[in-house]
Amino acid sequence: MNALVAFGRFEVGRLLRSWKFLVITVGFPVLFYMLFLRDHSSGKIVYAGVTWREYLMVSMCSFGALIAALNAGGSRVALERAGGWARQLRVTPLPAWSYVAVKMTASMLVVLPVVLLVELVAATFGGVSLPVGTWVGLSALLWVTALPFSTLGVLLGFAVSTEAVFPVVTGLLFVLAYFGGLFTPVSSMPGALQVAAHLLPNFHHLSLGLEVLSGRTLAASHWLVLAGYTVALGGLIVWRHHVEEARGVA
Amino acid sequence: MASAVHRFGELPPVDAPAHLGRPAPEPPSGAPCPEREPALLFSGVTHYYGDHRALDDLHLSVERGQTLALLGPNGAGKSTTISVLLGLVHPRFGHVEVLGRSPRDAVGSGRVGAMLQTGSGTGLPPGVRVVDVMRLVRRLYAHPAPLDVVVERAGITTLLYRRTDHLSGGQAQRVRFALAIAGDPEVVFLDEPTAAMDVEARRAFWKMIRALGDEGRTTVFATHHLSEADQVADRVVVMHHGQVVADGPGATLKAAVASRQVRFVADRADALVLNALEGVTDVQVRGTTVTLNCLDADASIRALVRSGVDFRDLEVTGAGLEEAFLALTSTAKRPEDERQP
Ligand SMILES: Nc1ncnc2c1ncn2[C@@H]1O[C@H](COP(=O)(O)OP(=O)(O)OP(=O)(O)O)[C@@H](O)[C@H]1O
Ligand SMILES: [Mg+2]
Repeated sequence: MNALVAFGRFEVGRLLRSWKFLVITVGFPVLFYMLFLRDHSSGKIVYAGVTWREYLMVSMCSFGALIAALNAGGSRVALERAGGWARQLRVTPLPAWSYVAVKMTASMLVVLPVVLLVELVAATFGGVSLPVGTWVGLSALLWVTALPFSTLGVLLGFAVSTEAVFPVVTGLLFVLAYFGGLFTPVSSMPGALQVAAHLLPNFHHLSLGLEVLSGRTLAASHWLVLAGYTVALGGLIVWRHHVEEARGVA
Repeated sequence: MASAVHRFGELPPVDAPAHLGRPAPEPPSGAPCPEREPALLFSGVTHYYGDHRALDDLHLSVERGQTLALLGPNGAGKSTTISVLLGLVHPRFGHVEVLGRSPRDAVGSGRVGAMLQTGSGTGLPPGVRVVDVMRLVRRLYAHPAPLDVVVERAGITTLLYRRTDHLSGGQAQRVRFALAIAGDPEVVFLDEPTAAMDVEARRAFWKMIRALGDEGRTTVFATHHLSEADQVADRVVVMHHGQVVADGPGATLKAAVASRQVRFVADRADALVLNALEGVTDVQVRGTTVTLNCLDADASIRALVRSGVDFRDLEVTGAGLEEAFLALTSTAKRPEDERQP
């Protein structure tokens, strides 16, 4: 237990000290928020009583969570594995699962400030105003439901080689974000894309946030899809781990 | 549990003039003592990477406190052997024990330390200082060695506040050695620990390996430096194609091969003719100087005389470990059926 805590603190500290990573993670969603805000008439209702500037706030929180998770998990894990550090840890008493657990926790810890910062920018420059209870609930919801992104990030780190990880992370980031409705409301997309959006985690992450803003009840389907992604991606991590142990490249 | 290993805290640093380790206490005779079971045990271990056989029915037993060198050409299976002992690779067949338990349990209990072969990477996390990594790794063990002792032993005092990504290859290697001994382990595995070190660092390093052995730690290291292996290790195991082809103290090994070198000067030497002579395993021709490695020097010299080659200045010497090694790994031909049944 002490070992786990020590490793967790080490990892979080390392993540928070890598300012290049933090600037990119926080910078992109904030920048996109400001850009998209100018693009449209921001007061227009785009989703059951939700204005574009509110929609954009939730979608950029989701985008930021995705960037944080895919970079903290994917790129960094792949590099550490290639460099031999992950292997060195495997020959200490630290249990094998704790590497995955700590990596996921660390990336979740970066997601929270990203969500809060995008909200702060939306409140300050986007003119979004909400009751305090809604702010708190929305932040907590967007944070907790980012878990499938952290899982995806760590899986990429395990499954993709260092040379491939950067293009794969960038490609996935934009595919998941665009087709998940983070840049354009899904309702304005052609029919086939609307169906596709329902299969992607970010659509459901976004929808949960929008439902909070419009005062609707949160649909169970969103929770189910997000939980399903987390379990399936987690299963793939476990499977990769077993394959590697048999092959001896772990 | 009572351990035969001396803890770091009790010991003077490696440069101290006094001898480092008291001999391990003898167990009471007759009574079964768990400390006397081998530290490491391989029985019938076979491992395939895909359909490539990396370990081939390997049997090996290493006593506690022994310092063992693993030698063998590239791809012989040294790293695979160490990976199996660390539980990083689960062999397809056979049984492995480390300190009487499974490799994973032994590693989990914190009684094992290791320095792995890292290929192109440093084996260290980027973006932190050496001291941060040292502190972390010490915290992963229940009974770590004191930081200052480890730092001094590994010779990294001046590197502590450097960032890990600013270290040279040899410096990173010393830091990884420090990580291997940070947990005060009973068993230490080192995979080519001196590969990037300069001569001086290497010499200091081997002195330290001896110290580990004197303290009663079981040490297994893979290396390509034959003469150093010979001087440092109690026992040298030569591997080839995933099998043990020789096993014993360095000196015994040399004798067992009974290899001799026959050297002479010949103005017109035909390597093909010489190679065909009885008992000759290898021929080197440099200018007019010819060196024959022979398994049976007497027979080879008789054959040389009969062959009519015009030679002078004949000299016969016992071969070194290097020649013994070459003789062993060139005669141990891989079995024809490489493929898995
Ligand atoms: N992860 C892997 N996947 C496939 N084959 C592998 C893998 N690791 C090692 N091998 C193969 O298994 C054999 C044994 O490799 P190993 O790394 O144990 O050799 P080694 O004795 O340590 O060699 P070296 O002196 O070059 O370090 C080699 O033929 C190697 O190509
Ligand atoms: Mg090797």
